[in-house]
Amino acid sequence: MSFILELITSFVRKMLELLTFGGKTLTNTLKIYVKTNTGRTLTVNLEPQWDIKNVKELVAPQLGLQPDEVKIIFAGKELSDATTIMQCDLGQQSTLHAIRMRPPTIQREKLLSMSLEEEEPTGTPTEEASKPLNETLLDLQLENDERLNITDEYRVRAKAHFFVHCGQCDKLCNGKLRVRCSLCKGGAFTVHRDPECWDDVLKPRRIPGHCESLEIACVDNAAGDPPYAEFYFKCAEHVSGGEKDFAAPLNLIKNNIKDVPCLACTDVSETVLVFPCAAQHVTCIDCFRQYCRSRLGDRQFMPHPDFGYTLPCPAGCEHSFIEEIHHFKLLTREEYDRYQRFATEEATPPPPCGTLGSVVCSALPQS
Amino acid sequence: MSSLPRRIIKETQRLMQEPVPGINAIPDENNARYFHVIVTGPNDSPFEGGVFKLELFLPEDYPMSAPKVRFITKIYHPNIDRLGRICLDVLKDKWSPALQIRTILLSIQALLSAPNPDDPLANDVAELWKVNEAEAIRNAREWTQKYAVED
Repeated sequence: MSFILELITSFVRKMLELLTFGGKTLTNTLKIYVKTNTGRTLTVNLEPQWDIKNVKELVAPQLGLQPDEVKIIFAGKELSDATTIMQCDLGQQSTLHAIRMRPPTIQREKLLSMSLEEEEPTGTPTEEASKPLNETLLDLQLENDERLNITDEYRVRAKAHFFVHCGQCDKLCNGKLRVRCSLCKGGAFTVHRDPECWDDVLKPRRIPGHCESLEIACVDNAAGDPPYAEFYFKCAEHVSGGEKDFAAPLNLIKNNIKDVPCLACTDVSETVLVFPCAAQHVTCIDCFRQYCRSRLGDRQFMPHPDFGYTLPCPAGCEHSFIEEIHHFKLLTREEYDRYQRFATEEATPPPPCGTLGSVVCSALPQS
Repeated sequence: MSSLPRRIIKETQRLMQEPVPGINAIPDENNARYFHVIVTGPNDSPFEGGVFKLELFLPEDYPMSAPKVRFITKIYHPNIDRLGRICLDVLKDKWSPALQIRTILLSIQALLSAPNPDDPLANDVAELWKVNEAEAIRNAREWTQKYAVED
């Protein structure tokens, strides 16, 4: 009797496995747009396990090119052939950029092998194909010495992770960092170095790069200096609504990679808000909400000349005001409305759009 | 009535399991946010030998705002007034949610060891403390014997 039962369960389990496996392969296919610098946009379906070489082989014939004449640019990086789709944090309907190499690889290799070896490196920053930014970027909360002495085990945990307030999902969402040219706003842009701190990402004119979005490379000034990168964020939790689907970065919200307990409830949460004070006080998201609610109830938010109607660290530390007021969007809609009403009543002019990227403010629905 | 936050449960447990020497805080049977507190007068202070009763209340938005603490036992101290209200920075503008019931009670105990007449709450007491410290200390001892020592 039990033998038959076992047989049936194992059969059912096998069927289930087959079903779930089948489901996975179906749903994981990504519909991706590939933009070229000639104004064309192709739509391709990519499997997560494919690598960039596969993408080039798929895209090149449609562009009338050989696969090795194409380079793929994504989020500020030229992707290496061995990078898999899975490694890039691409979502449905994300956009890759396919650019024709200048000069084609074969010729360049020939040239290099003929020329003297010492001529090869040095000089202008090289734009070597690499892993995507989301794979290489370390958490922006780490100090410089922490970056240098990081262990391999820790590296996985310390990978950069971004949170945004998404206007469409109307909640705290995982975010994706994207890069474009500050001049032409094109996405076929490669950075000369990775950002290392939040200022690199949030403040303009920090990291230069190379723009290939247009036939003629963008230049920053008459002297021909390279243009600067413009970083922006997208929500990772809804299907991309195109290149103008921005989300507000919540730069104080971080993965709790150092397992710091919440200052208020003393629990160790996975996602926390780290205040910009020297002591880096930490609260969990729930306690942050409670803090805002409590201060809002007592009308104890403060008008800050640069940031607007805001709060300092609950421990009252110096220089700890929250600069990016989109953090208060973590309150309920009702509470946020009250926050805005109080802010207006306190006669604080709204914070100037552009302090943390004009990209975000202009694109967010006004609520 | 909302349920008791985990932080308060944790703090209460720790207060019971690892009590601070000279301090005893027990939550009220009917209200877990209200604590019956007993602080013994520190050695080498005019309050030595005294047993002081206090009440401590955790407001709704604790730990975002400070606990409310008051002496019930009468005490002769420049920073504690006739009603038992305490002038202590950590109970007011220096409060931080990183502080706890435990740390607050320790601060109060320390205040008994080190009265600060320059930041007074009980003006008459503070005045005497500054003008004639010996007499003030004598008064404090007397009050301790009179109000804080059980026969």
